Amino acid sequence: MAANAKTAQLLARQLFKMSFADGAVSAERVGGVLAYIEKHRPASPMVVLKAYSRLIAAELARGEAVVEHAGAVNDAMLAAIAAAMSRRYGRKVAARPKANAALLAGLRVRVGDDVYESSIASQLAALALSI
Amino acid sequence: MSTVLEQIEQQIAQLSSRTVKKNTGNIRAIADGVAKIDGLSDVMYNEMVQFPGGAIGIALNLEEDEVGCVILGDISNLKEGDEVTTTGKLLSVPVGKALLGRTVDSLGNPVDGKGPIDAKETYPVERIAPGVVVRKSVSQALFTGIMAIDSMIPIGRGQRELIIGDRGTGKTTITIDTIINQAKINKVGLASGDPNFRPVYSIYVAIGQKNSNIVRTISALEAAGALEFTIIVAAPAADNPANLYIAPYSGAAMGEWFMENGMDALIVYDDLSKHAVAYRQISLILKRPSGREAYPGDVFYLHSRLLERAARLEGKGSLTALPIIETLAGDVSAYISTNVISITDGQIFLETDLFNQGIRPAISVGLSVSRVGSAAQIKATKQVGGKLKGELAQFRELAAFAQFGSDLDAKTKAQLDRGNRIVELFKQPAYSPLPIELQVAVLFAMQKGFFEPVEIKRVVDAASSLKSFFTTRKDPLLSEIRTKAVLDKDLEAKLQAACEEWKSSYTA
Repeated sequence: MAANAKTAQLLARQLFKMSFADGAVSAERVGGVLAYIEKHRPASPMVVLKAYSRLIAAELARGEAVVEHAGAVNDAMLAAIAAAMSRRYGRKVAARPKANAALLAGLRVRVGDDVYESSIASQLAALALSI
Repeated sequence: MSTVLEQIEQQIAQLSSRTVKKNTGNIRAIADGVAKIDGLSDVMYNEMVQFPGGAIGIALNLEEDEVGCVILGDISNLKEGDEVTTTGKLLSVPVGKALLGRTVDSLGNPVDGKGPIDAKETYPVERIAPGVVVRKSVSQALFTGIMAIDSMIPIGRGQRELIIGDRGTGKTTITIDTIINQAKINKVGLASGDPNFRPVYSIYVAIGQKNSNIVRTISALEAAGALEFTIIVAAPAADNPANLYIAPYSGAAMGEWFMENGMDALIVYDDLSKHAVAYRQISLILKRPSGREAYPGDVFYLHSRLLERAARLEGKGSLTALPIIETLAGDVSAYISTNVISITDGQIFLETDLFNQGIRPAISVGLSVSRVGSAAQIKATKQVGGKLKGELAQFRELAAFAQFGSDLDAKTKAQLDRGNRIVELFKQPAYSPLPIELQVAVLFAMQKGFFEPVEIKRVVDAASSLKSFFTTRKDPLLSEIRTKAVLDKDLEAKLQAACEEWKSSYTA
């Protein structure tokens, strides 16, 4: 079972590497990979697909800055954030707004695993932990 | 009420309004105190990570796709998908004298109901052991108060001496006796006002023990007045394996504080067999490859990096370690036993047979050794007990052969007789350590043949009579032995006279 899971992980990683075109995940290539899996079913297709999906999702998240906001954000602000993140990571990062009233006020920007936060909610949470 | 509000406002003002960068991940799977986490791409090995609800974890497995963390604290509220963040810090525990007399968990949180601990400093739980340059060889004695140990298997400050034996052979009792003896010495030393006196503080780490046993140990220490010089780190059997795994390292960090600040400390790890089992459990859940007896490949490093932290430092203090290992059916050649035997500077082996024969402490002289302790032994003990180990080992050999034949020559009979007397003399009840000067006096009496006229069965009685004679009537002589630490001609004459006096009063 463990060996199967390992093989599936390895296959998913190989398929993931084949999903790139010009340094970015290409929809066309992903389609090709899915068709290949459909045609040549691996031993545990579910495990392979889940692992593949996780890798693709993580890669896509690295190229997108999800800007969570409690108040209003305009296009200029989003463009500024996208430019700043692209500079910081040395790759193209697009900004996508997402309303989140739980922040109370401020912003939270998520790029892949990294979270940049300047919100009242996070400060209150830090205060609660420090008491 | 307004002051409370002001306090909160102050705290709010202190909080930085700058943007905070965090590296995050999500729990993919959680079981048995171990979480598999997606993300956490910036996490470092052994870094502390923050789980929701205040639980913390340590990143132990850094894999290509996931991070394996052990979780310390309450895991009942954690679930798949919860966000986990890196902290950029190593796990640290409070250290300092404020912990003395307290019982804490493996994270240094008080569990004795005596309120919060006012510790000013924290030390990282995992630290690199001191290198060869800063170390000093062991040359100062650490008296256990157990005559058989102090005379035959002496322990020095900064030494690692393993206590090994089957269950119920008195391993914990030896360590408790040692802690009680340190407290007794501390009290005498601090009362004397001697500026050169160096007290020894103790740390008792209970790993995987029943809570009732831990309570019994605390009560014994409290009854003997030793708790005020002792820190108890409790990781009972009911704790999750991560807490059991981290407890000895937390204890070591607390001990290192004393060592780094020019003081001496003693740490007891009770016991490392259960520690290895907890680590095996964590490793198997983390799907690390298993080796002999299903232990992971780095189980040697688990204990070597812990015990290497015990040292005597140049210009600073020392940390003496007494790890305990429980054997099965007296098998010292098991995996963990041989590992720890090879790491430590000697071992005290306790035998079930001796224990059942009523020889307590049940120390097997043949299998016990102290590799560096003789350099730390005081001269007075060497003078009176230097040849004891050899004599006793020879006695055991002769006693084994004597079982086969009834005709023994006079010399052999005399050797057997003397051996029996030494064995009787070394019997000592639990929680009653003997001061070193009293040990010297008793051994002197034995060497000079004062116990020879006494019937073997009555040697214990005679020895206790001699002890009470010295403590009640020869206190100045005992103080002289303690301060001089060597038996010169004058002191020998005084001891001889005192023993004669006792002999006349005892036989009379």
